[in-house]
Amino acid sequence: MMSPVKPEDDAVRDPDALMRNFERLGYIADRSLATSIFLITKLRKPLLIEGHAGLGKTEVAKVLASMLGTELIRLQCYEGLDTSSSVYEWNYQKQLLAIKIQEGVAQTVEEKERYIFSREFLLERPLLKSILAQEASPVLLIDEIDRADEAFEAFLLELLSDFQISIPEMGTIQARHIPYVILTSNRTRELSDALKRRCLYHWIDYPTFEKEMRIVRTRLPDIEEELSKQSVRFVQAVRKLDLEKPPGVAETLDCVQAVALLGKHRLSADVIEETMGCLAKSMEDGARVRAAGIDQLLSQATG
Amino acid sequence: MRQEHAEQLAASIVDFCRFLRTHGLPAGMRQTMTALEAAKTIDVQNRHLFASTLQTTLCSTMEEWEQFPPLFQTFWAESQPRPRSASGEYKGPARGESPEQKEGASLFLDGPGNQTGSAQGNTKAVYGASAQERLKKVDFSHLPCEDLALLEEISLRLLRRMSQRLSRRLTISHRTTRIDLRRSIRRNLTRGGEPFVLAYKGKKPRKNKLVILLDISGSMNFYSLFLVRFAYALQARFQRVHTFLFSTHVVEVSDLLRTRYLPEALRKLSQRAAGWSGGTRIGESLRQFNQAYGRKLLSRDTIFIILSDGWDTGEPELLAAQLRKTNARVQKVLWLNPLLGLKGYEPLTRGMAAALPYVDVFAPAHNLESLLALERHL
Repeated sequence: MMSPVKPEDDAVRDPDALMRNFERLGYIADRSLATSIFLITKLRKPLLIEGHAGLGKTEVAKVLASMLGTELIRLQCYEGLDTSSSVYEWNYQKQLLAIKIQEGVAQTVEEKERYIFSREFLLERPLLKSILAQEASPVLLIDEIDRADEAFEAFLLELLSDFQISIPEMGTIQARHIPYVILTSNRTRELSDALKRRCLYHWIDYPTFEKEMRIVRTRLPDIEEELSKQSVRFVQAVRKLDLEKPPGVAETLDCVQAVALLGKHRLSADVIEETMGCLAKSMEDGARVRAAGIDQLLSQATG
Repeated sequence: MRQEHAEQLAASIVDFCRFLRTHGLPAGMRQTMTALEAAKTIDVQNRHLFASTLQTTLCSTMEEWEQFPPLFQTFWAESQPRPRSASGEYKGPARGESPEQKEGASLFLDGPGNQTGSAQGNTKAVYGASAQERLKKVDFSHLPCEDLALLEEISLRLLRRMSQRLSRRLTISHRTTRIDLRRSIRRNLTRGGEPFVLAYKGKKPRKNKLVILLDISGSMNFYSLFLVRFAYALQARFQRVHTFLFSTHVVEVSDLLRTRYLPEALRKLSQRAAGWSGGTRIGESLRQFNQAYGRKLLSRDTIFIILSDGWDTGEPELLAAQLRKTNARVQKVLWLNPLLGLKGYEPLTRGMAAALPYVDVFAPAHNLESLLALERHL
């Protein structure tokens, strides 16, 4: 190691230190989340974070990467995700050209083949990239794993236990630095037991009023205290309604920002009507908020 | 001294995992090991930290996450002595043993023949090709006794043919002409890389999973006999079929239907459903199903079929909520309702009305023709 002090050791000395470092980077984590993240770095096990949308699941990985000063490698999952877009793919166009160029060269077929299937022609996709990292362990974020199909989940299981990938043409590649793995899920489907058993788990719930205020204060330091207080209370009241997509913290931040941008200093029924799109993300949800009575919700927030 | 302490702590954690297991959390071997390992990296004197550590290592779903804190409190309470013996208080789902009704028992043996004596005069049995056409359209509940055997035979044949057609159609329609460059280059290397022979790739034919819930309550008596044949026939096409019977409870019968000799299976089926009360609680049955099998069986490639007339004596809200849950997990929900074949039927029963928003295909299932028409939804 070149540098005398390894920065990561200091940052993750214990959960409290980690919590402070996260806060310094603008992420308010409670002690329980800090413990889970602390254990990723100690046990080197993947962490599965579940919770509703907009509560900063993805953000955890980003902040962890910047705290450790390593690369963040992100894999966004979707239905039909396959190995050629998640692990690796050969650069066919380049291979075809190379074959043409090689035509006159006196080489055996084996030599040519070895050349065509060398690293130069390999397109690294996120999972392979995380295995190949040279300097330090990267943070690998596997986002919305519940959207990928079961076949991919099974593949992932293999990767997460061995941290190696085999490419038929090249052989097996072993990770030099085991990545810190964070998986997120919105619980649209249940993950396999095998995968869950292999991971640490954390459930992110909606924040308490105090915590949400701290988040708003940290993320939007220029907003008036009274306005943020009203907005947070209002959003917390809206969350209690039976909405299809209850607003997360991201929505609170949007809402506060929108109100401030409109040049308003306090919440009112008109302002809420104008910024409804920040909180209710479908027509039905908008109607539900209105049906519950904006004035009534507002009186809870300002009273 | 320190060593002793560590051992004691490890023993307590293992004990705690056992305690969790008696309260329905999995806390398996692997998770216990992780917890032990994790405990070494933290300051166990810090109670809050210790709790979070065990929570993150021993839980793996939201439900477990929320169950955890009180369990932790109970076990690690300082004042109380630790519960030594893990006394299993878990009660299995109470089996309703209401002996007063035995409708289910005779269901599949007797079939509709018993109840339809009055309809006998309506139609006279005519055999041959025209009989097949006629019987295809006959409502199962209006079936004259003497036609029963014939209809059974026809239905099995036609349904089987349908399921064969389904399996053929899938392989053909999925043939695509996307060039597989990887294989093409590989194959042509010996020819200096000139792409002589192209390799193609197509989508793997997706094999859907089928989950069937069959209502065998009193009101469905006429139809159950044929619908169970329908489920049986579909097995030829779908390798993964899971069939359940329900009225007030739900019970899996997939294993019984996986046989070549149907009459024997039907006899056993009746035994398994014996002693059930005749009422229908669809919502409750669905809740039981979701709880016990939902996680295991429902996935994106699942087609979920409910065969029921929607006469529900339970709470419609429960039905709606449970069906929504199911719907979110599967590809498609089919509700086959025999009553839909009746002229002028409107799905106005409370249960049916509550369920409709979460049903993708709502189709009749009162005669053979309507069952055969389901081909295009599968």
